Amino acid sequence: MSKNKAAIFAAALAAALLIRLLAPAPSPENWSESEAALIASLSLSALPPPRPDPSNAVADDERAAMLGQRLFFDPRLSANGAVSCASCHRPELAFTDGLPIAVGTGPGRRHTPGLLGVAHSPWFYWDGRRDSQWAQALTPLETHFEQGAGRAAIVRLLASDPDYKLLYEEIFGALPDPARLPDSASPLGGDAEREAWQRLDADARFAVSSAFANAGKALAAYQRTLLPSPARFDAYADALARDDATIQRQQGDALSREEIAGLALFIGAAQCVNCHNGPLFTNHDFHNTGILPLAGKLPSLGRFDGVRLAREDPFNCLGEFSDAAPAQCAELRFAKDDGELAGAHKTPGLRNATLTAPYMHTGRIATLAQVLRHYNEAPTAMLGHNEAKPLGLSRRQLRQLEAFLHTLAAAPP
Amino acid sequence: MFRYLAIALLSAPVLAWAAAAHEARADFSLITGGGKHLAIASEVSPLEINRMHSWRLRLTDADGAPLSNASIEVRGGMPDHDHGLPTRPEVIGEPESGVYLLQGLRFHMPGRWLLEFTIALDGNEDSASLELNL
Repeated sequence: MSKNKAAIFAAALAAALLIRLLAPAPSPENWSESEAALIASLSLSALPPPRPDPSNAVADDERAAMLGQRLFFDPRLSANGAVSCASCHRPELAFTDGLPIAVGTGPGRRHTPGLLGVAHSPWFYWDGRRDSQWAQALTPLETHFEQGAGRAAIVRLLASDPDYKLLYEEIFGALPDPARLPDSASPLGGDAEREAWQRLDADARFAVSSAFANAGKALAAYQRTLLPSPARFDAYADALARDDATIQRQQGDALSREEIAGLALFIGAAQCVNCHNGPLFTNHDFHNTGILPLAGKLPSLGRFDGVRLAREDPFNCLGEFSDAAPAQCAELRFAKDDGELAGAHKTPGLRNATLTAPYMHTGRIATLAQVLRHYNEAPTAMLGHNEAKPLGLSRRQLRQLEAFLHTLAAAPP
Repeated sequence: MFRYLAIALLSAPVLAWAAAAHEARADFSLITGGGKHLAIASEVSPLEINRMHSWRLRLTDADGAPLSNASIEVRGGMPDHDHGLPTRPEVIGEPESGVYLLQGLRFHMPGRWLLEFTIALDGNEDSASLELNL
């Protein structure tokens, strides 16, 4: 190669690099039609009402939501009188707790997931071990390291607190007589609680379990009302959907060039939107993305265990405490249960992710920047296989993605 | 009580919807390796992600005569992501001769999906595949 040719080649290479570095981020004016449609599909304006829950006849009953709200914040629903649902699901942190692993009446097993918009999901818990919001709400009440009160104690509280009793009986009818109930009894408790449960006759057990299920249905009715607020991203997406060039430019200013570039990566090269789709930025399904297990523990089987536990749960959609007809329990009836689900955990929504550190079901990733590095590298899974593939994004692109995630935060409702 | 009330309240709008939506259904036509015709009509059209729904499958011979009492199984997934369907759809009945109701379908990611239909009839097995881009 002659000197001249080498110089031309070097100049061309330098120019190409310069163009690459200075290339404008996508702007509101140059999204393709399919990109614009994808952005519109992520706006909170596209969020339908929460999916109906035929298994809960009071899911949309305002009185039930009122009762559920009181129960949600009441620490008397725990064995030690100190832990309410809100102890871990703190409203100011988008209903998370800021801890790697939850702490209830004892050390927990998983990172606390947020609750905003969760009524849109067909499955609950990181491994989907419950198939309704009310069946989920009942579980910590009887889990010894969460609230651990047991069902008889919950029903006694409802029946002995005059405000609860009045509200409950207005919605569901008569409560069991607390004088005929032991202080503490549950089929899932310690030895003493299980023995006390066995001493009750079948009718009493059914009456207690029914009233307990109703407490869960009230808690679910309240939690169905917890929805995310519009964020800066939504103003941008809505202006884009209105196709108003002036407003687009104004709203374009509301998102910085770096944030818009992050959005382009999110729906493009970074492939985030494959699973983090829809207005809540989740497909509500289960994926193995090679997350490290808890320190010193074997990896969780995830959804592989979760689907079995959901089928065994007496409070599921097909159970005797459900208000649904069997034909309405499609998610449970057609749930997949093969080995592919080993290590798969639920896709979390990304709205308010900036408020909900640390991350993942094990809480082992401290910052969003580290989460993005995890997906950029897509490490081999310890159990099953990592569905994600390495992305090969630059550090600048990772910063752009992180900047975009900040546009999904909104002040707590 | 609630159970029966729920059925009564829910069935009326569903029936009304079924009549109204009939013309807008997504349709696919497949020919099996053995020359049978499988016509697919989705309850949801156009297809959407993250929505549980059902398909009606019309199975006929090459001359259009309905084929009854077949056993139809569907498997599938996203070859590019190395995973299967998020649910386990099942044919739950044959409401009219040669028409099979496939319930429990849900797609949870945009992209390329590949579905394989296996049809067992009179001791013979036959198959057809469908590629979808969502």
